[in-house]
Amino acid sequence: MTKLIIKLTVNGREREVETTPSTRLLDLIRDDLHLTGTKEGCGKGECGACTVIMNGKLVASCLVLAPQADGAVITTIEGVGDDKCLDPVQEAFIETGAVQCGFCTPGMILAAKKLLEENSHPTEEEIKRGISGNLCRCTGYQKIIDAIKLAADRLSRRDSGKSEEDA
Amino acid sequence: MEGSFRDLEKCQKTYQKTTPSQYFAPQKIEKALEILSNYGEEIKIISGGTDVLVQYYDRLYEVNNWLDLKNILELQKIRISKNQMEIGATITHSQLEKSEDIKKYFPVLSQAAADIGSPQIRNRGTIGGNIVNASPAGDLLPPLMAYNAQFKLLSTKGEMIVPAGEFFIGPKKTILEPAQLLTEIILPLPSKRTFGCWTKIGKRKALIIATITLALVVEMAEDNKTIKDVRTCLGSVAPTPIEIKDIREKMIGKNFNQLDFNQLGQIVEDKILPINDIRGTREYRKDVAKEIMINSLEEVYSSWWRSYR
Repeated sequence: MTKLIIKLTVNGREREVETTPSTRLLDLIRDDLHLTGTKEGCGKGECGACTVIMNGKLVASCLVLAPQADGAVITTIEGVGDDKCLDPVQEAFIETGAVQCGFCTPGMILAAKKLLEENSHPTEEEIKRGISGNLCRCTGYQKIIDAIKLAADRLSRRDSGKSEEDA
Repeated sequence: MEGSFRDLEKCQKTYQKTTPSQYFAPQKIEKALEILSNYGEEIKIISGGTDVLVQYYDRLYEVNNWLDLKNILELQKIRISKNQMEIGATITHSQLEKSEDIKKYFPVLSQAAADIGSPQIRNRGTIGGNIVNASPAGDLLPPLMAYNAQFKLLSTKGEMIVPAGEFFIGPKKTILEPAQLLTEIILPLPSKRTFGCWTKIGKRKALIIATITLALVVEMAEDNKTIKDVRTCLGSVAPTPIEIKDIREKMIGKNFNQLDFNQLGQIVEDKILPINDIRGTREYRKDVAKEIMINSLEEVYSSWWRSYR
């Protein structure tokens, strides 16, 4: 198999990786970069467990060839929040009980973050459409939807400088 | 890759099936055509990968070499020139869905793009990919036919412009030659008196292969009373996306109040050739085809009426 070197920025850090033309971005992230928060579910782009943000867009990393990500800027779940402080979306997921087995959670959180970035006050229908590429087999989705609503409320209050008590 | 790209000429001379696989991502269409003419069936064109990679992982075919279109900016444009819109082959479904120009001139195409897959799929999958994949269920295909789309096919030997209706020849089969690249989708701009309706029936809203789709586009004459043209195009009801041409003679030259919607629905039911599969039975598809035709006619009629008053 031909080897090639690709450069990409993952979670703010520039990486150079040796890979092959037919390696999936998903495998590069998990096996070469050892970022195992990104999961493999179906491997066909239908479950969303492998979701990452690539060049500002939500993508299924199982349907991207590693060399297609050459030069790309990628955010995986490890790049959301930091060691000291969780992202408001992550906090909301914990508080509302939107995490059960946890397998869909990394993809779900990235989908939710992307949705709220583009639409800070989504309706329930818009939330459902925003996470329509992510399957969850535990929660029945309601708690995930509640979590995204809660995160939306908090983020908009934070942006308008009000605390929760003021509301 | 630039590295592997420089090796191209050396590779062409020594190329055999055992040659290690190559990945090319040229910036120019001309270079892509050159690579295609050299490799022919030994190379797979990839853009969004949402169909190609699923089939590749299922090993429906072996891929020796990849030709990635991602760096060809020329294929990423939506242009309006004179009386037509030109859509680059690697415009994604998300771009189609969100483009103000497409919403304005080709709302049925925009709505069909919004119904494809999921956000993840729409962000990667392309209009060109949907066309060359040539699934009988390809969501964009009936709208493209209904808007009289033509496809521009390029090779090192020259250019071919093909009407959408002549491009598809069977499930996953088209007239595209291995050395040809679909570069552009050309759509004549419809008149302001054009009304359309999109319907997709599937078992769920997201990530579903259509059980049946219908794109109905009706153009009114200058008087905005007489029907000047109509295109009734369906997916998932035949080996290729199809137009029911019999509808034309029943509708063209008439006013809406002279039409029998039920009879027009019956024509659609009678003329389609669906199969039984896991998505629906033949009978189900025939029943539903009639109903969605009637609903689409009502929808088009009321949009026309709103504009007429």
